[in-house]
Amino acid sequence: MAKKKNISVAVRPTAADHGFNIMVTTFMVLLLIILIVPIWSTIALSFRPANYIGSYLEGMFLAPWKWSTAAYRSLLGNQGFLNSFGNSLKILVMGVATALFLTVPMAYALSVKGVPGKKWITIFVMIPYVFDVGVVPTYLLISKLGLVNHLPSVFMPVALSTYNMIIMRQFFEGIPNDLRESAFIDGCNDVQIMFKIILPLSKAIILTIALYYGVSFWNDYMRSLLYLQKSALKPLPLLLRDILIGTSMNDNLEASAFGSAPIEAIKAASVFISAIPMMIAYPFIQKYFTKGTLAGSVKG
Amino acid sequence: MKKTIIVLLVALLAGSFAFAQGAGEAAASTGPMTITMLYSATQTEAGSLPDDWAGYAVLRDKLGIDLQLDMLPSNPNDQDLAIRTRAAADELPDFFTCSREVWADLAKNGQVLDVTDYYDDMPNRCAVMFDQAARNFVTYEGRIYGFATPSAIAGNEGLLVRKDWLDNLGLAAPTTLDELFDVLYAFTYNDPDGNGKNDTYGYGAFVEETVSYEIYPGRRFEPLMGAFGVEGTWDMGADSFGLQIHKDAYYDWMVFFKKCIDAGVIDPNWQSYKKDDFRAAWKQGKFGCFREQNSAYASENNYSPFDANFPNGGFIVVDAPIGPNGDQSVGPLCQGMRVYAISSDVSAEKAAKIVEMFDWMSYGEGYMLCGYGEEGKNYILDADGLPQSDASLGDLGYNQAGGQRYIQLRNCAFNYSNAQEIALRYPGYITKVSQKYMSAGDVLLEMQKKTWTATPGQNSMPAPESTDVTTFYQQGIAEFLNGKRALTPENWKAFVEQFDKIGGLAWEQQGYDFASANGLLQ
Amino acid sequence: MKKSGKNYLLVEAIEKLQARKKELEGSLKTAKEQQNTAEVARLEKELEPVNAQIKEKKRAFRKAENGHLLAEMNRHKFIYFLLLIPIVYYFIFKYIPMWNAQIAFRDFISLKRTGITGGTWVGLKNFKTFIGSYYFWDLIRNTLMYSFGKLLVSLPLSIILAIAIYECTHKILRKVVQTLSYLPHFLSWVIMYGILLAILSPSEGILNDIIKMFGGTPKSFLTDTTAFPFIVILSDAWKEIGWSAIIFIAALMGIDTSLFEAAIVEGANSWQRVRYITLPSIKPVIVIVLLMKIGTILNAGFNQLYMLYSPAVYSVGDIIDTWVYRGTINGQFSLATAAGIFKGVIGMLMLFVSNWASKKFTESSLF
Repeated sequence: MAKKKNISVAVRPTAADHGFNIMVTTFMVLLLIILIVPIWSTIALSFRPANYIGSYLEGMFLAPWKWSTAAYRSLLGNQGFLNSFGNSLKILVMGVATALFLTVPMAYALSVKGVPGKKWITIFVMIPYVFDVGVVPTYLLISKLGLVNHLPSVFMPVALSTYNMIIMRQFFEGIPNDLRESAFIDGCNDVQIMFKIILPLSKAIILTIALYYGVSFWNDYMRSLLYLQKSALKPLPLLLRDILIGTSMNDNLEASAFGSAPIEAIKAASVFISAIPMMIAYPFIQKYFTKGTLAGSVKG
Repeated sequence: MKKTIIVLLVALLAGSFAFAQGAGEAAASTGPMTITMLYSATQTEAGSLPDDWAGYAVLRDKLGIDLQLDMLPSNPNDQDLAIRTRAAADELPDFFTCSREVWADLAKNGQVLDVTDYYDDMPNRCAVMFDQAARNFVTYEGRIYGFATPSAIAGNEGLLVRKDWLDNLGLAAPTTLDELFDVLYAFTYNDPDGNGKNDTYGYGAFVEETVSYEIYPGRRFEPLMGAFGVEGTWDMGADSFGLQIHKDAYYDWMVFFKKCIDAGVIDPNWQSYKKDDFRAAWKQGKFGCFREQNSAYASENNYSPFDANFPNGGFIVVDAPIGPNGDQSVGPLCQGMRVYAISSDVSAEKAAKIVEMFDWMSYGEGYMLCGYGEEGKNYILDADGLPQSDASLGDLGYNQAGGQRYIQLRNCAFNYSNAQEIALRYPGYITKVSQKYMSAGDVLLEMQKKTWTATPGQNSMPAPESTDVTTFYQQGIAEFLNGKRALTPENWKAFVEQFDKIGGLAWEQQGYDFASANGLLQ
Repeated sequence: MKKSGKNYLLVEAIEKLQARKKELEGSLKTAKEQQNTAEVARLEKELEPVNAQIKEKKRAFRKAENGHLLAEMNRHKFIYFLLLIPIVYYFIFKYIPMWNAQIAFRDFISLKRTGITGGTWVGLKNFKTFIGSYYFWDLIRNTLMYSFGKLLVSLPLSIILAIAIYECTHKILRKVVQTLSYLPHFLSWVIMYGILLAILSPSEGILNDIIKMFGGTPKSFLTDTTAFPFIVILSDAWKEIGWSAIIFIAALMGIDTSLFEAAIVEGANSWQRVRYITLPSIKPVIVIVLLMKIGTILNAGFNQLYMLYSPAVYSVGDIIDTWVYRGTINGQFSLATAAGIFKGVIGMLMLFVSNWASKKFTESSLF
């Protein structure tokens, strides 16, 4: 990442520039503190031992040597865990692939200037965006399509998100039109322009939208609950929810499958376990966030 | 951009692969009859019944049934949603369990089978359950459309008081409301745990409500409400029938409640606590008096954190306090029910098989397989012929973690009422830290002996047609308690009148019609 | 007829002819009044070819216009090819459920028993239940309060965060903040509620500890109608700004850095660069995000409010979605669909109005 300050050695930074830098740094540090609180307290909570005593505040700063891994053991040790993790992974990969396959062409098509009927197509996609029809109408469709008890039922109803598509279109529109025009003059058709000009310049946004889709598929439990009725197909969020709610309902049981961890620790641990793949994904995506992607792409 | 093309191609392939994957595996079988069943697991988090559960083979060989089980999710709202959507798409399993609300709609729509004549085919099950109240529970227009089995033990909650705190302060166990108030006050301000900090409260609770049965502020306050005779949503008396809020005594209860809140003797978190917060709080000794369920209090897993925190601590089960007019009640008592129903799309032949299987689950071999698992693997028989779990079974014992998967169908087997079952479910044990004897079973018996208001069937009473009625009720009471409205007789009267106008009276009428039609008036 | 494009000459010719026609007609009228038959006949003869010419030119114009449209469509034929699968997708997965949604207006039982269209029409009963609710206006007010409140707080904050990350010169600080800022998004509201209790609980919350330290009386913030809206809006910002900032960071990456160099040479300081380069560059993205949020303005955050509210704060905490949810526990799915349609109509209206406004004032728009 080339910093712009390095490029312009000729001009000395002014007092206003210093003030700006101090402001930015202060803001970032303050934000860091504010953001660390929930993250840290959730970590501490997930390691809370069963016989913990004390206030919430003390709980947040519980010393690591008092930590107990019981919550993680009970979650990761669940007999369905690996299977569910696998299901979620399949949904994630298939879902993001399908979603990009549907979203990128449409976003590109609607970003091209002067296509007759474009406005009407945009309105056509905006109508379902604002109308939320509820659970049953969609269930009836999925059932008729025979998708019930198939993993794609989790992502197919939302594989083309209008929100994501419109955002992506906006980024495509931001790419200077001269590029397309010159490619057109060079004899490229619209599809070739998409592959040669637009996509290579849009790695950041495509990955960001992929992340959006990935997170929504990975965390979804409502559709899995409705459409995946076989225990063997259960994805991770559904399993974690079952464990969570099940554990807190075990009041009339003489033995619990996961006795040793307090419920609040299981809650917190399940959050981390389910968020880990996405936490790994984002820093990877950040690598493609480089300043000035479009700089120099237009020949002077 | 070859790479991008490849990526897109892979995407397309993945998509089509996804559609092809896992295509229907249901093959028409000539052998045993396939029955699909959606059941409510004993412990969803333990995972589904293992494929090597011995019951499958017995069902196949002896009853000619190939049982295909699917587990319901653990959240009750999720369960309702799952059944309702399937019903809308005509995908109901052959045999399933559901809430009474869902069942009522299915019965109205003709989507569940009329099983009135099948009861006689279940002699063993009828011997232990299905009294008139249970049959009424699933009756629609004079015909029975399901099986209502007991879902929990009735009267399994009680008012608990910290014994060690009473002793520290030299107080006796409270019997009247005034005495209870004094105890709560002392628990709050006289440092009952002797840690030198003002960090305890008298009464602890959270809002646990069922609108049609135990409305806001809900179940955890009923022992206090009982002192004014206003516990539960309804007064089910034939002469006095009505919503409790319409009674004059309800105002007295509000005055007392407000007094407790203003005096600071109720843990102020009661409006924000969820169930888990509440349970974590008493285990950490934050308050000394509350209503709790027998097993949530005394079974080994649930008691052990408290035991570790307070080896010298302990509770006694006290009776509900006696109010100014002599009223007393831990709460309304009625048997919780679980509804089983057969889809009306199944053939008569299959329905007969289902009934046979359901009967099989309630006695002898089937009962043991569903309730305790496999002999020699999950339990052994003791000298009296009762199932026991011992060290030789290791983790697979029916009361050990690994054994839980084998007893997931327990809800189909247990009748939740006989003493032997209770003794087996809640064995006595010695606590780890304080080394004292505890038994959730003994606690249960003690709790059942306390003063309850018997109101069979109150849990099947209707909720208001509109959410507005409930909202107005809850919000109004909360605002009186929080001081947003001044609690004066005039304000209270105006509030109740407005409530009636919004739909309170209509709801009461609806409740009266239902109660008299179903013989629920006492 | 627009005076532009390839058909400019045709349009001009038609206009000339029409002017001539008007002139002739004027003379004709005078001639008729004067009963000058010879003049009338002459003028009528002269008018005839003019009319014919106008007709011909207009036909030519239409043909050219259509030809142009066809040419444009032909030029972009691949675009229609690209749109084919997505549009089919929309039909199947978005429009069929919308068609199915009519079950909200019918006595629907199941697919085989009544089918989608088979149940008797019960009409607008569910709408009446919703619109006639005692709390209707409270629900609308609360819903709008939260959605606008969140937009006003979270959107600017996430833009500021994105710019701060973009401008930050400490590499480590930037990386850490960028990575950590979006993590709270993954904490469910169940977890966030626990954290909020730790801060706001009347008995042991940090905030109340501080209040007690200064001799104040502790307050139960989560059940206080004044404090509650602030808690909702601020905790939403706390949880979501990092996540919302991602899209703006992506937008910032597209800015041509040579613009900054030019600005520095011209003596612009950091503030001015943000004001005149950075913000205008990401403005289109901000506008689109804003428009999309306005389309779903009546979704004020069900999961959050359902977790945070309690009867004590219903008056300021109950939104359309939570009210509907409490109603659907009794199986009234139709009520949910009716409310969904209501929200959709309002959203659509808001969308058209704001799209028009944005087209007029910012030059970026959805359609």
